[in-house]
Amino acid sequence: MGLPFWLFSQDNVTLSGTISEAETGETLIGATILVEELNLGTSTNEYGFFSLSVPKGKKLTVIYSYVGFNSISRDVTLQQDEQIDIELSSGVNLDEVVVKANSFEEQLRSTEMSVEEISTKEAKLVPVIFGESDILKTIQLKPGIPSGSEGTTGLFVRGGGSDQNLIVLDEAVVYNANHLFGFFSTFNTDAVKDLKIYKGGFPAQYGGRLSSVIDVKLKEGNSKKFAGSGGIGLISSRLTLEGPIQEDKSSFMVSGRRTYVDIFTRLANDANEGNEDFTPIPDYYFYDLNTKINFKFGEKDRLFLSGYFGRDVFGFSNDFFNFDFDWGNATGTARWNHIFNSKLFANTTFTYSDYQYNIENRITGFSFKVGSNIQDATLKTDFYYAINNKNTIRFGATATYHQFTVGRLQAGSTDGDIQFSAGQDFDGIQAGAYVSDEITFSPRFKANVGLRLSGFFNDGSNYFGLEPRAALNYTLNPRVSFKASYAKMYQYLHLVANSGIALPTDIWYPSTENVKPQASDQFAIGGSYLLNRSLFFNIEAYYKLLDNQIEFVDGAQLFANDNLEQEFAIGKGRSYGLEFSIEKKEGALTGWIGYTLSWTRRGDFTLLDDNQFFEQSRYGDFAPIYDRRHDISVVAIYEINRRLTATATFVYGSGDLRWLPNGRYTFQDIYGQRLNPVVPVYEDRNNFRLPAYHRLDLGLVIKFFPKWGESDLTINIINAYDRRNTFFIYLEPETVTDPLTNIELPTRIVANQVSLFPILPSLTWNFKF
Amino acid sequence: MNIKYFLFILSGLFAFSACDLEQEVDIELPEFEQAIALECYLEPGKPFRLLMTQADPFFAPLPALDEQFLSMLLVDSAEVTITYEGETIALRNQFSLDPGQIKFFNYVANEIVPEAYGTSFELNVVTKEGETIFASTTLLEPVPIDSVVIEPDDEIRNDTLFYRALTYFTDRPNEANFYRRMLHVSSLDSLPEQDFVTDDRIVEDRVVFGSSYEFIAGDTIINTLFHIDENYYNYLESAQNAISGNFNPFGQPSPIISNLEGSAKAIGVFTGLTYDRITKIVPE
Repeated sequence: MGLPFWLFSQDNVTLSGTISEAETGETLIGATILVEELNLGTSTNEYGFFSLSVPKGKKLTVIYSYVGFNSISRDVTLQQDEQIDIELSSGVNLDEVVVKANSFEEQLRSTEMSVEEISTKEAKLVPVIFGESDILKTIQLKPGIPSGSEGTTGLFVRGGGSDQNLIVLDEAVVYNANHLFGFFSTFNTDAVKDLKIYKGGFPAQYGGRLSSVIDVKLKEGNSKKFAGSGGIGLISSRLTLEGPIQEDKSSFMVSGRRTYVDIFTRLANDANEGNEDFTPIPDYYFYDLNTKINFKFGEKDRLFLSGYFGRDVFGFSNDFFNFDFDWGNATGTARWNHIFNSKLFANTTFTYSDYQYNIENRITGFSFKVGSNIQDATLKTDFYYAINNKNTIRFGATATYHQFTVGRLQAGSTDGDIQFSAGQDFDGIQAGAYVSDEITFSPRFKANVGLRLSGFFNDGSNYFGLEPRAALNYTLNPRVSFKASYAKMYQYLHLVANSGIALPTDIWYPSTENVKPQASDQFAIGGSYLLNRSLFFNIEAYYKLLDNQIEFVDGAQLFANDNLEQEFAIGKGRSYGLEFSIEKKEGALTGWIGYTLSWTRRGDFTLLDDNQFFEQSRYGDFAPIYDRRHDISVVAIYEINRRLTATATFVYGSGDLRWLPNGRYTFQDIYGQRLNPVVPVYEDRNNFRLPAYHRLDLGLVIKFFPKWGESDLTINIINAYDRRNTFFIYLEPETVTDPLTNIELPTRIVANQVSLFPILPSLTWNFKF
Repeated sequence: MNIKYFLFILSGLFAFSACDLEQEVDIELPEFEQAIALECYLEPGKPFRLLMTQADPFFAPLPALDEQFLSMLLVDSAEVTITYEGETIALRNQFSLDPGQIKFFNYVANEIVPEAYGTSFELNVVTKEGETIFASTTLLEPVPIDSVVIEPDDEIRNDTLFYRALTYFTDRPNEANFYRRMLHVSSLDSLPEQDFVTDDRIVEDRVVFGSSYEFIAGDTIINTLFHIDENYYNYLESAQNAISGNFNPFGQPSPIISNLEGSAKAIGVFTGLTYDRITKIVPE
């Protein structure tokens, strides 16, 4: 099929602009712009900007639309390049910031694949533990991201490790996106505008992680009027305020939340002071604060300043010791958007990220401090250049200065007589430059090809990576499209974690002379079928190869170790699978069904220190704990009427793997120590598959419409049929004491399963004005 | 919508949710091929002796304390020799109990382990099935304890003044050293108040091992500092990781790291046991 003449005509002019929400002024990402006469369309980029070449002097009808908003149609006749900014209204019923995925039609036509998006509205309706809506947890219900595992809280996207996810909040890297060991994410849904996750087919502007990019954008703040929202739940409360500083020119948003279980536990501790039968409850709370302000300087410039600060604080003390443990992230972003002209848009960002944990333990006469820290300062600039309707070029560069403190330890007597210290400091520079072109070969065939050059420089160890990217889309007809993608990724940072459970003490470690960068090659093919305007089928198959994957040697020492590298075994990995989803976005009943069939393996390990042990090398390849064969998630949201919405989520997954001992032996030890008749013998890693995981969560949202705004009562029942899913299994001997010899002897071995969650009801009151 | 009705249901669900979250389950573990577990500690002044037992699948029946107990537990009829400085000691297959230490062995010799620091000892085992186990170790010279300081607490708790013990020693410079620290109260037969191993990666020169304030006047505190080799250190650490990995969902399990080689499937350790010990009585 030939291209229309106007794609190349010299008599073209450019229509550009931004699209934003009329009620709040928030820019809309992925809003569509369609020129009816030309059957020509585009969509806004992640900054709300679009650019389109149209014939000069021709009268055209341009339709601006966005799912959940009223479309606007404008007749235009352009004699020269023109910027037209549009505001779309979500209608009479002022709703949450409705940021849905692109319309299904747009998804069908887009070269993007392996992408999942979730709206804040959906995230607020889906039932979650303790009623704390969590957009990051909700997106784990999408296919390809194993969900709903008891206590295993890392994100394992398409067989990748938990460190292989680039999580950015307003473009600043968040190194640990978890509160309370991963049961909650650091993202306060009230403050989030958009969350998008790439599982593959990564555009060239993204780099630095192998398995996913999770791009979280904060709300800009209502530039039209002062507004607020918040909620009071069982364990925490939250409040978000936003409004114009100068109407339509500048706005602010500030959002905070804090848990308050510690207030009650302190009361319980105080009430039981002196009661010897009472074990004091440790203090625990977390809080986070998001802020953002933005300024418009004329039509072409916008400046955004945003920040995040969050901490988890755990403390316990008694007569003998004081134990304090805190961890958290801080990020800051200064971002400048500039429209050079109707074709060229630039985004320049400076970000700062900090993640640290600190443990301090003071026992009478001794103190012990341990901590780790990673700090980044990043400068990046991205250009979006719509040459014509056939080519949209993106190019840019980024440089990050990293500082790491790994395993800092200070210990000794408080009188200073004896002191120990350990730890390593590193710094490094990570840089990248990229270019990509979104090419429209014909209305049916599009491609996005790109190349990223990345590098990492750390104390004489210099690494470079060439990362080609390609994504193709062939639209067979308005209902069917086929897609394929390839992405090469390099990752220069490694997370030193010893279990599948996200612990704040997991350490970020840079590539060094011995520890090479991780790398991956991912291939994906897929197809989409639009059954009707509101029902969308998607199927994708992927194959991913991973290189330089870290496992720990047997008996690895991760703390107080000045040479952590000697504890590493470096190997390869592969994962492959099939993902299938059906999604419905309109009507009273909305939601999706996702299914993933996948395999993940690790193997070919070599040791960095030949004196270490890695028994697994005798047994060959093994599967990581998150190798889940089947994963199903069903999310249904049914709007019964204006006041009532019922929700249900069902997840089913093949059990995760665990490393259980399959043998035992008697260890007598030397004098003084008691004979241990049941010492576990571990052989092949991750040799046991836990029982299947399944859970049904139910929710009911009752809305109220007081004069001052809107409120709702959200009732959630997590694990509605009280399934005992497995958190872990341990093997324990049952013993009896021989009356003659008084020796305690094991009589039989039992396997005990520990679960974390019974049926858990919760109640949350939410409001906005 | 009657909110009171909802709250009533919710309170009922809360009560229901207070259920037991731990339960016994039937599971099938992967197969485990039987193995030999072997412990042999060469302690100068003590006879050569060795314990050889059977490692079984985790759910295999456990021996009851009857006449079948030892036959189910012990691996007998093997040929065991230890060679050092050209001399070969044959250990006979004989059950032996050290009543002072409440330890038993099934291979013993009359010969005494010499105080031959720096000497290499070699263990050779041929099982009745003809499989072999061999290992070697070197007796390390003890690292002396510099001093043990008994220190009172700053305050009196529950009308009692408590003390702690600080055990000082000097790490050997320019070499990798490994230590096992044991602190017993009253008798070596009792369970130790402290028992841990450490390397010297983060310690320099003078090192102190301290206890908490837990002793009272009149207590006898036995401080032992074993100077152990890396094989023994790895073995003890891996055994501890295996034990804690079973019970701790956050832990990193470990296979048992042995220094035994040969055709037999064997786990365990062949090592020297040298130490310095200072006993202190907390003053009245």
